[in-house]
Amino acid sequence: MYGPPGVDVGDTADESVSTGDGSARLSGRAELVPRLLVPIVLVVVMAALAFLLSDNVLLTLQEVLALAVFATATNLLLGQAGLVSFGQAVFYGLGAYTVALGWLHWQLPFWATFVMAPVLGALVAVPIGLVALRARRLYFALSTLAFSELAYQLAESRYDFTKGANGVFGTFVPTSLTFPRTGYLFVLAVTVVSLLLLWKVNHSPFGLVLRAIRENRDRMQALGVNVYLHQLIAFVISGAFCALAGAMFVVFSQSSYPELLDWTTSGEPIFMAVIGGMGTFLGPAVGAFIYQFGHDELVRYVSDWQLVLGAVLLAIVMFWPEGLLGGLGRLGKILRKRGGNR
Amino acid sequence: MDLASFITHLVGALSTASSLFIVAAGLTLVFGALRLINLAHGSFYMYGAFLATSLVAWSAHTGLWIALVASPLLAAGMGVVVEVGVLRRLYAREHLTQLLATFALLLIFADLALRFWGKGVRSVSPPPIVQGNVHLAGAPVPLYDLVIIGAAVIVGASLWLLLSHTTLGWKIRAVVDDPEVLAASGVNVRMLYTGVFALGALLAGLSGVIIAPQQAVEPGMDAQIIVAAFIVAVIGGLGSITGAAIGALVIGIVETVGASWAPSWASTFIYLLMILVLAVRPWGLLGTPER
Amino acid sequence: MSDDILLSARGLRRTFGTFRAVDGVDLDVRRGSIHSVIGPNGAGKTTLFRLLTGILRPTAGTLHFGGEPIAGEPVHVIARRGLVQAFQATNIFPRLSVRESLRAALVSRHGRTRDLLSWSQPAMEQEASALLDTVGLTRLAEEEAQKLSHGDQRALEVALALAMRPRLLLLDEPTAGMSPFESRKMVQLVQRLAAEEHLTVILSEHDMETVFGISDRVSVMHQGRVIADGPAREVRANSDVMAIYLGSEA
Repeated sequence: MYGPPGVDVGDTADESVSTGDGSARLSGRAELVPRLLVPIVLVVVMAALAFLLSDNVLLTLQEVLALAVFATATNLLLGQAGLVSFGQAVFYGLGAYTVALGWLHWQLPFWATFVMAPVLGALVAVPIGLVALRARRLYFALSTLAFSELAYQLAESRYDFTKGANGVFGTFVPTSLTFPRTGYLFVLAVTVVSLLLLWKVNHSPFGLVLRAIRENRDRMQALGVNVYLHQLIAFVISGAFCALAGAMFVVFSQSSYPELLDWTTSGEPIFMAVIGGMGTFLGPAVGAFIYQFGHDELVRYVSDWQLVLGAVLLAIVMFWPEGLLGGLGRLGKILRKRGGNR
Repeated sequence: MDLASFITHLVGALSTASSLFIVAAGLTLVFGALRLINLAHGSFYMYGAFLATSLVAWSAHTGLWIALVASPLLAAGMGVVVEVGVLRRLYAREHLTQLLATFALLLIFADLALRFWGKGVRSVSPPPIVQGNVHLAGAPVPLYDLVIIGAAVIVGASLWLLLSHTTLGWKIRAVVDDPEVLAASGVNVRMLYTGVFALGALLAGLSGVIIAPQQAVEPGMDAQIIVAAFIVAVIGGLGSITGAAIGALVIGIVETVGASWAPSWASTFIYLLMILVLAVRPWGLLGTPER
Repeated sequence: MSDDILLSARGLRRTFGTFRAVDGVDLDVRRGSIHSVIGPNGAGKTTLFRLLTGILRPTAGTLHFGGEPIAGEPVHVIARRGLVQAFQATNIFPRLSVRESLRAALVSRHGRTRDLLSWSQPAMEQEASALLDTVGLTRLAEEEAQKLSHGDQRALEVALALAMRPRLLLLDEPTAGMSPFESRKMVQLVQRLAAEEHLTVILSEHDMETVFGISDRVSVMHQGRVIADGPAREVRANSDVMAIYLGSEA
């Protein structure tokens, strides 16, 4: 593990935990164990909570976990690839509608539609991505926004197929999953797997290429990378997981409706990512927790939850742009630098 | 199609185009000078409309006329507060940050509107002078449609005059290229930014009043209108007033034609159109490719 | 085309409207040599470089690299063939660390950009470290690229270009904006690259001392054309060249 003189010991052992703000600190093998320990403990604790928390909270957590996946998948585009998409709700709603309409029109079982959801998400992401990614930056955002609204209008107007503004209600979720505890454990399991896969994407050569493209698109082009293609791949992966999140949402809501496709719904995972920290992997998930719990708690005490939410978001955007985890991460780095052996 | 029917459709299309233009003009003006996408533009619009409903409730005869002045002023005031209090601090930051800030403002304003005006749907009727129909070549045409078209022409002409024939207009057009050079030549760029933003807001508020008699005034109209305004502005090319006019015309025609030709799909046409335009010419018809 | 010549251009032309930025350029660059392109501002050097790397397509003329025609090929294809440029304006990855920046370039060269499954790549890590060593950035490996000094950023530029294992390296004004100390470091680096790595280098420069100090051959451009071309010593002695150069700069 000792490289040429001047190279930090332990550098060659592991891929860097590269965050969006470039604070690439590598971890040697020795540090890997504590790094794995925390997530494992976290998962065990969350599973245990299934037997400790009330039904209401478990139901809320189902929604939160779906949103956590939604937000993390969106952040693959936002934080990693630097692509601001106001259209991820297209896939979220698509996932939800896949489960709902699959049952409604063709009596497909949940297990089938649940698996179909991410596949459809990926498939639909291809044409949308092909078109939208031709536009840069701002126009990309607006293009995705248009797709979101288009999807919303289609869902609302095609009454025969989608039941329009009423949405689809029914027993498409198997009875076993309608119990809060089992539903929660199922959603938790899917969340863990999804986040692991998304984490893997982040920490692969592809993930690094995405970040490099984000930092300097033209340079990567000059270095031989087909930027358009790689952005498309990211878009497809994000679409698949957003759709999966939508299907997870159905376990909680047991319904699907057009608002899930709306551009303002697309804005939610972006906010969650900003709150928790776009530059960190778990930031969006943390943001989802804060956003949803915040919303649910606020709604109970205060009828002006939109006001509070808006004010909080504004404050974060203005004064704390790295988000919660981002800020903590930077603080940690500063402390480590002070106390370390640099 | 006979002449009468054609005239009805034409006026309908022009009226839709006019409404869209007035709303989009402010949005594209602000982007042109400040390079800022203001999602809360719809909020100014909504407040203009809601204020009109309150003033009409207070005085059925003069309410709307007062609103014609009060709403734009209210919106302009809101604009000043927003620009000075929030946006000014964010000019150096990324566009996403600015976008999110305006989205947060959208939420805040939406909530405050609920407090002031409640959840219900409101409506106002046009003033008696401009109610009813007029007959053009045998076709009945709502008089108010003509009013809106007239308003759009006035707004468009005024903006054109302002931007091409006044010093202020020249400054507004120059500030986006090189604000530092402009500041060095003695122009108070900060106030210019505030002024332009307030003007954009004013236009939004004005459009709210003018369009109020033609539609339901309700919560959610802020999010709805902002998308339409965007589509118009983007198709025409962000930053270009002429572009906004062209975009509005295109959308107006498409919507009118679409409504009679394939009504159940009509609501999707404008999105398809925007996607199409962005796919072929990503910076809009009259936009500049640098973005 | 003889084995000796790596890059060959004939009648290369690029017009913008009526303006002929590059107006019939012939160029032969020998393998393993350092070939400088000089000329007053506006002579067309930058446009020529853009034609070579594929950022611009020629309006006329042919371009051969290693025997293969490359005129009109997209940038990333030309880069993969081994013709790589280190940029003039600093064109780095601001928030990636130096090491990550190199890794990104290496991942690209190894063709693993769509690799979603791998973790670390020991071979690539070693290569990254070696590159850092070559350009002298080892001690700054973990720094954010945007925090480096100008000279160090240019060194990173060169490292990024080297990561592509180029056969031919284009350097557009490599010492621009540098202190004499940094310039000397850069020049030594270029010489080392040509000598030790057997790299072919084309560079455009304003600093005549650098040019005639290290170049094997020099091409002089003026108003889009090559007006003199040959071994450095000969070109230097060519009084016409000096007149044009000094005359235009007056």
